[in-house]
Amino acid sequence: MSARTRKLRRTFWCWLALAPLVVLVLFPFAVMISTGLKPIDEVLAWPPTWLPTRIAWNNFPDMWAAADFGTALFNSVFISVVATALAIAVAVPAAYAMSRLVLPGKGLYRQFLLVTQMLSPVLLVLGLFRMAASVPWGDGTLVDTRAGVIIVYGAFNIAFAVWMLASYFTTIPRDLEEAAWIDGCTRTGAVLRIFLPVAVPAISVTAIVTFVSAWNEFTVALTMLRDPAKLTLTLRVVNLVAGRYSVQWNQVMLAALLATLPVAVVFAALQRYLVQGLTLGAVK
Amino acid sequence: MLLVLPSLALAVAVIGYPFYEIVRLSVSNVSRFGQVRGYVGAANFARAFEDPNFVAALLRTLEWTVAVVGGTVLLSVLVALILRLDFHGRGLARTIVMLPWAISLSMAAIVWLWSFDGDHGMVNITLQRLGIISGNIQWMARPETAFPVEIGVGILVSIPFCVTILLGGLASIPGDIYEAASIDGATRMQAFRFMTLPLLRPFINIAIVLNVIYVFNSFPIIWVMTKGGPDNSTHILVTYLYEQAFGLGRPGLAAAVSLVMLAIVFVFTMIYIRMQSREQAA
Repeated sequence: MSARTRKLRRTFWCWLALAPLVVLVLFPFAVMISTGLKPIDEVLAWPPTWLPTRIAWNNFPDMWAAADFGTALFNSVFISVVATALAIAVAVPAAYAMSRLVLPGKGLYRQFLLVTQMLSPVLLVLGLFRMAASVPWGDGTLVDTRAGVIIVYGAFNIAFAVWMLASYFTTIPRDLEEAAWIDGCTRTGAVLRIFLPVAVPAISVTAIVTFVSAWNEFTVALTMLRDPAKLTLTLRVVNLVAGRYSVQWNQVMLAALLATLPVAVVFAALQRYLVQGLTLGAVK
Repeated sequence: MLLVLPSLALAVAVIGYPFYEIVRLSVSNVSRFGQVRGYVGAANFARAFEDPNFVAALLRTLEWTVAVVGGTVLLSVLVALILRLDFHGRGLARTIVMLPWAISLSMAAIVWLWSFDGDHGMVNITLQRLGIISGNIQWMARPETAFPVEIGVGILVSIPFCVTILLGGLASIPGDIYEAASIDGATRMQAFRFMTLPLLRPFINIAIVLNVIYVFNSFPIIWVMTKGGPDNSTHILVTYLYEQAFGLGRPGLAAAVSLVMLAIVFVFTMIYIRMQSREQAA
C-alpha cells in the first residue's frame, strides 16, 4: 500500500471518528441559521424542518427593534473595548517587569496572579455588587453603570493578560534593547522605540482574547446592569427568553447568531496564534 | 516596582475588597437589602447546611463536576490523539473542534435550550428521524433529562480548552521513541499504553485540575437553561448561591456559600500550583 492511499484511508477514519463531535459543534450554528431565517408560524410548526419555505427577511428589522439591538451592540463594543484597553494598559508594564527585571517578590506576584486567575467572578459576585454600590459615580454608584462592568472585566483579565504577555516577552531577545542602549538610547527610549513595536503582535493577540472574554461575559453583566439602555448583547439575547410567556424564537436565534458570528469568525481565523498563547499560562 | 503597581492595585482592589465583604457578610446577620445588623458567628454556615436544597446542590455539584470533567477529559484524549495524526483537512478539523471556545456560554445555552425544546426543537425531530426515540420528550421540564442535557452541553464547551492542553502535551513527546519501539516489536496498542499515556499523564492531570476549577464555577449554562429548576432539581452551588443572593434576598447565607466554594477552589489551585512546580522541576 503506498503512502498516499494510506493517508487517504487515515483521512477517512479520522473524519469518521470526529464526525459525532463535528456534528454537535456545528448543530447550534445550523439551528441559529435555520430558525433565525424562518417566519414564526414555521418556527412553531410540527414537525420542524431545517429549511424554511421562505426566508423571513423581516426578522432582521423585527429583531433589531425588539432587542434594541443597536444599543446593545454599542454597549457590548464600548464595554469590551474599554475593558480591554484598561487590562492591557496595566498588564503590559507588569509583564515587561516580569520578563525583564529582577524584582523582589516576583514569585509571590506570579502566585497571586495564578490564584486570581482561578477565581471566577461569580464566587465574588455578591462582594463585587456591594463594592460597586459603595463607590459613588455620577449621580449614584457604580451599580448599573457601564463603568462598573468595565472595571470588573479589566481587573479579572489582568492575570491572564500579564501571564500571556510575559511568556511572549521572554521570547523577544534582550539584545535588541541592549544594542539600543549602546547606541545612546535611554532605557525608556529603548522600550518605546525598540521593544514595543516588536511586541505589537503579542499585545494584539492578548487584546483579542481579552475582548472576546469581555464580549461573551454573562454573570457580572447580569448582576450589575439593570437599565435596558445599558445591557450588553449577551444579556439582551438572554432577556428575550427569560421570564417571557411567548418567546419569538426566530428573533432570539437571529440575535444570537449576530452576537456570536463575528467573534467566532475572528477566533477561527486567528485560532492558531490564540491557542498557542492561551495554553502558555496553563502548561508552562 | 512602579511597573507592576497599577496591575496589582486594580486586581487587589477589585478582588480583595469583595473578598473582605464576603467574609464580613458571612459572619453577619444581613437584612435582605444588605444592611449588616451584627455578628452572628457561624450561624449563616449552619443555616446553609440545614437547608436540604444546599446539601442537594453540594452533592449535585460533585456529580456535575465529575461527569463534565470526566467526559471532557476522556473525549479530549481521543480527539487530541486523532488531531495529532497526519490526515487531509486536519486544519479544518482543528478549527471546528476549537469553535465552541469562541462562543459565549450563555449563547450556547440559549441555542441548546431551543434545540431541546419539547414541542418544536430540532433535537426531538432529529432523534425521531433516526428512530432513537418515538415521541416528543420534554427534555428541560423533567429533572431526569434536564440535568444530563446540561452535563452534555458542559462537556461540549469544555472540550476545546482540554484538547489544546493535551495537544501541547503530545507535541512535547519526541517522535523517534515510537520508531525505536516499533523496531523493538511493540504493537501500536502497547506504544499507547506504555509510552503515550505515561508521557501524557502530567498534562492529563493539569487538564483535570484546571477543568475541575472551571466547571465547578460554571454558572451560565445551568442558569440560562433551567435556573436550577424544575423544582430545584438542577441547582449546583453557584446557581444556588446566586439565587440566594439576588433572587431570595439572603446575602448572609449566600456569602457563607461563597466562602465554602472559595475554599474548595483554593485547595484545587494549590494542587495545581504544586503540580506545576513539579513539572518545572522535572
